[in-house]
Amino acid sequence: MPRRAPWLTALSFGLPSLRGLLPLLLLLVIWQVIDPQGSPYFPPPSAWWTGLATLMRSGRLLSALGATLTTFGAAIALACAIGGLAGLLIGRSRAARRALGPLLEFCRGLPPPVIVPVAVLLLGYVESLKLVIVVLVAVWPILLNTASSTAALSDLLGEVSQTLRLGRLATLRKIVVPSAVPAFLVGLRGAVPLAIIITLLVEMLTSLPGIGSLIVISQRQFHSAEVYGLLIVVGLVGFVLNGAFVIIEGMLLSRWPPRASYVQGT
Amino acid sequence: MRTDSINIPGTVTLLAVAAAWEASVRTGLVTFEYLPAPSAIVVAFAEIVRSGELLANTAHTLRSIMIGWVLACLIGGVLGLVFGLSAFARRYFLASLEVLRPLPAIAFLPVALLLFNFSLTTELVVMVYASIWPMFINAMGGISNVAARLHDVSLTLKLSPMQTLVKVLLPAAAPAILVGARLCLGTTLVMAIIAEMIGNPHGLGYAVVSALQAIQPEQMFAYVLFIGFLAIALNGCLMLAARRLLPAYGREAANHI
Repeated sequence: MPRRAPWLTALSFGLPSLRGLLPLLLLLVIWQVIDPQGSPYFPPPSAWWTGLATLMRSGRLLSALGATLTTFGAAIALACAIGGLAGLLIGRSRAARRALGPLLEFCRGLPPPVIVPVAVLLLGYVESLKLVIVVLVAVWPILLNTASSTAALSDLLGEVSQTLRLGRLATLRKIVVPSAVPAFLVGLRGAVPLAIIITLLVEMLTSLPGIGSLIVISQRQFHSAEVYGLLIVVGLVGFVLNGAFVIIEGMLLSRWPPRASYVQGT
Repeated sequence: MRTDSINIPGTVTLLAVAAAWEASVRTGLVTFEYLPAPSAIVVAFAEIVRSGELLANTAHTLRSIMIGWVLACLIGGVLGLVFGLSAFARRYFLASLEVLRPLPAIAFLPVALLLFNFSLTTELVVMVYASIWPMFINAMGGISNVAARLHDVSLTLKLSPMQTLVKVLLPAAAPAILVGARLCLGTTLVMAIIAEMIGNPHGLGYAVVSALQAIQPEQMFAYVLFIGFLAIALNGCLMLAARRLLPAYGREAANHI
């Protein structure tokens, strides 16, 4: 039983009914009504809003949000370019796959958070630190998925390009790249949440500007309302970014639909 | 990308990378101030093994991974079952979970710190929150995708709902649930390291960060490489177990990247 792509799951259930939001809303309303007065740990939802408004007025919220989103966007773009290209090259060459296999296998297995201290040690707290780390983390799922699907390209399609006397470039453009798109997207689907988490982690660990460091500062000062407020902001960012990605994925997949003949093995 | 029994070019590449690394550090070719040579990392590794530090940290991390994994599999599995079986649950509760799912678990760390301070609870809360999702999604998908014909079979055999669940639905959904459990273990490991770096000053994650802060690059690299091997070993164990449990599953799962 192959792992089903989540978009398939979403389709088969239809979009979750909006009525399903009721329990969550109810919970928030009860929280607000009960309002555990005096508890510094569970500020009511209205206090979250006030906390966020304070951060907003001081301008810290927007600048942190900007810093985080810039890192995320630039890192995903770079990871797509590097991972896609390297994946195609490695997937096309059997020798490269054999030679790099164990090394890539190790890099894939390495839990992403440990890259953060390594990069901090080698690069120091420089401006580009965040970007370098997030690219290093996000590139693997994209690279490995693209490579394995390119490698699994069926021989039949190779014969098609011979029959049609396609040149190297035309083969690449008309056969190899379109067949790699679905697997590339599966990789990207893994890379997006990972990139969000690691961006926040770097900010939390290094105190470089961003939502991650902002939330840690609020926590250290016991501004619990701000912490909850920022949690909602991070949740919204995650929701919007993942949603945007699903839409982009759907558009690309309708242009280059996955075909059983060339996505075996992904 | 499976490697065959002995991959000679692959091994040579690994050795070549290590040799080039060693040589460039020795000759001062690279300019990183704190990059230790592989030989120095090996020495540091022997040291943390001898002092028992590595063992203690590994024990802590493995213990929290096991607790977190079992909790996440149970919670995610039960939720997945309920939502896979009941259209009512999907209609009235699924959207609430779907809103919570993309919330990056790491953002819960400060909240957990606020509530539970630097403790194992903080670590577990973050780990479990992050890892119930793969299990939930796979169990729900697995159960609700059981072929209609199998439902007819259980009707024909007049199986009770409980018998249907145990004899028909769970076996049919087992491959999906196993995939969920494997993904879940990976997430648990990653979140354990993250939580130890920020939330709970124990274990391998904390060891890496404290070696960084003490500027002991050799020790830090020893820990980082060890964590890499540990992750691969854990995943390997699970693949082996999955292949034992479901022989047909092994070959397909091997192809997963």
